[in-house]
Amino acid sequence: MLALRLARGTHPLVLTRRLLVAAAAAGVGFLLLCTLGYAVGHPAQSSASVLRLLWCVLPLAATVQFAVAVARTDPSTRPRPGLSAIGLGPARLTAIAAASTAVACTLGSVVALLFYLHLRGDITGLPFDGAAAELLAADQPVPLAAALTLLAVLPVVAATAAGLALRPRTAPAAPEGAERAMPSGLPWGVALVAVGLAVETYAAQGASRGGLPLPGGFDGNPAGVLAGWVLTAVGLALAGPGLTHGCGRLLQAVRPGAVRLLAGRVLMDESRRIGRPLGVVSAVLSGALAAAELYGADGGSEAFGPLTVLGAALVLACTTATLLTAALESKQGRTHTTEALLRLGAPPTVLRTAALLRAGALLAVFLPLTWAIAELAATPLRG
Amino acid sequence: MAPPDNDVLWARSLHCTLGGSEALSGVSLGVREGEILAVVGPRGSGKTTLLRCLSGQLTAQQGEVWFNSGPVHTLAPAQRERLRRERFGWIDPEPGLVPELTGWENTALPLLLRGTSHRAAKTAAQEWLERLDIGGCARKRPHALTQSQRQRIAIARALVTTPSVLFADEPTATLHRADGAQVLRTLAAAARSHGITVLLATHDGEVAALADRTVALLDGRRVAAVPPASGAEGVAACSLSV
Repeated sequence: MLALRLARGTHPLVLTRRLLVAAAAAGVGFLLLCTLGYAVGHPAQSSASVLRLLWCVLPLAATVQFAVAVARTDPSTRPRPGLSAIGLGPARLTAIAAASTAVACTLGSVVALLFYLHLRGDITGLPFDGAAAELLAADQPVPLAAALTLLAVLPVVAATAAGLALRPRTAPAAPEGAERAMPSGLPWGVALVAVGLAVETYAAQGASRGGLPLPGGFDGNPAGVLAGWVLTAVGLALAGPGLTHGCGRLLQAVRPGAVRLLAGRVLMDESRRIGRPLGVVSAVLSGALAAAELYGADGGSEAFGPLTVLGAALVLACTTATLLTAALESKQGRTHTTEALLRLGAPPTVLRTAALLRAGALLAVFLPLTWAIAELAATPLRG
Repeated sequence: MAPPDNDVLWARSLHCTLGGSEALSGVSLGVREGEILAVVGPRGSGKTTLLRCLSGQLTAQQGEVWFNSGPVHTLAPAQRERLRRERFGWIDPEPGLVPELTGWENTALPLLLRGTSHRAAKTAAQEWLERLDIGGCARKRPHALTQSQRQRIAIARALVTTPSVLFADEPTATLHRADGAQVLRTLAAAARSHGITVLLATHDGEVAALADRTVALLDGRRVAAVPPASGAEGVAACSLSV
């Protein structure tokens, strides 16, 4: 109840972030229900149904990541001395964070269920009544228990993840501005990217058709290629913090002025927070680029079914939103720095220029990297 | 009405309302060039508000502030910011250092923000750190230093630009007495040797003894002298009411 009361008085921007989580949850719920509809309509092709269900894991994971990022930036989950004094300490705040995440995701799931029933023609009175009745197996009754189980997956997983991410730690946090060791994931990340690309090339040359087909009408997609892509993605996510740290180090090297000094140091200190989601976005983008290049060329619009497009859009939107939320979190974490600078009489343009410089440096490194990996991934498949 | 010529900073009948209550009601003040002026008064008497009005961080609802025969209260926000950056220094009770930067970088930051070259800024910062006996802290980040070292870095940062006027708002409030006394002595010595005018807000009589002149504030008005803390009187009142 406290979570709902707090939500009522929240700033519109924070509510917008939660609504975005709800929207993503609605998308995932709809995908899961469509999978259910396919399984009900085609009882003979159970392996194809399982495959569709497995593909839903990607948007689900992206949404959970986004929900956790939103829970971390939520001002109502931050410890406050006054609230701690009346007994609302870190443990209760964690519970509130988990509860508000669950509320947002459940809202999304309910919307998904209503929309699904509406498209099937079970709920009438709106445009597009039963527009997809055939596709969603409207002649069969919806197995209610199965639908509710599928819809409950996201709220439960997201709330658990948010609770785990925000749980009170016994070890005290490092003081603000403490020098952090350079993220160690870079060599592992580079190695994984290389291995992933190699596996992909190898699997594509072996080209045994008919492994894991995409649900939207992809014609053949060997499991080895997919494994290679997953390895590449994990490698990029691991390498992200190290690359970001390197960007920061380069920015503040060689006799920096105030802008470069501030931009570089902040990037070095925030490399973990920004680098990981940035690596994930880079991996997703490179995958999307490679897929568009491969299938867009020969298949055209037939290669991508509407549900594939919905899933891909969900993954892209959620990872990008996670990156933006992480940037917001890092901005909130540096309010002390900003205040100190403004007190000194630093012009706001200095702060803005430093932020632009950071964004520019990251773009200059990650855009070519994303493009190169997409090209490398697509090359063996094209031949 | 123009201010007298020998005052570097001059304020007339400042009225300032903060959060619904009147923090300053009709304060007038003249600060002479090169002097150390203590603004004394208990907590909530309007010392910080007065300093913020004089330094252009706040604009008073009524009244005038003049700096070097130029009006401050009519300046646009950007010009006041520039004035703060180029002519004024400010020391808070909390050091307010940038946590990501090392000691010398924090000290040199005002110079770097003005566009001074990296090497010149570094040399000036190192000199000031040596003068304040914290040369060894130049390469450490604030979290690795003690509170008194951090506060001295904040003082070095305020002095490194040799401002015309230095505003020090309770600069020793978070320090132990021995540390605080030493910090204040170095601050006063540095200000006198460089001819910097200092406005020192404090509630401590001993701190005010360092100053050339004292101005007392009580409930947002200037008074002749602050009455001593009324502990004994309060005890008497309590015993009567029982």
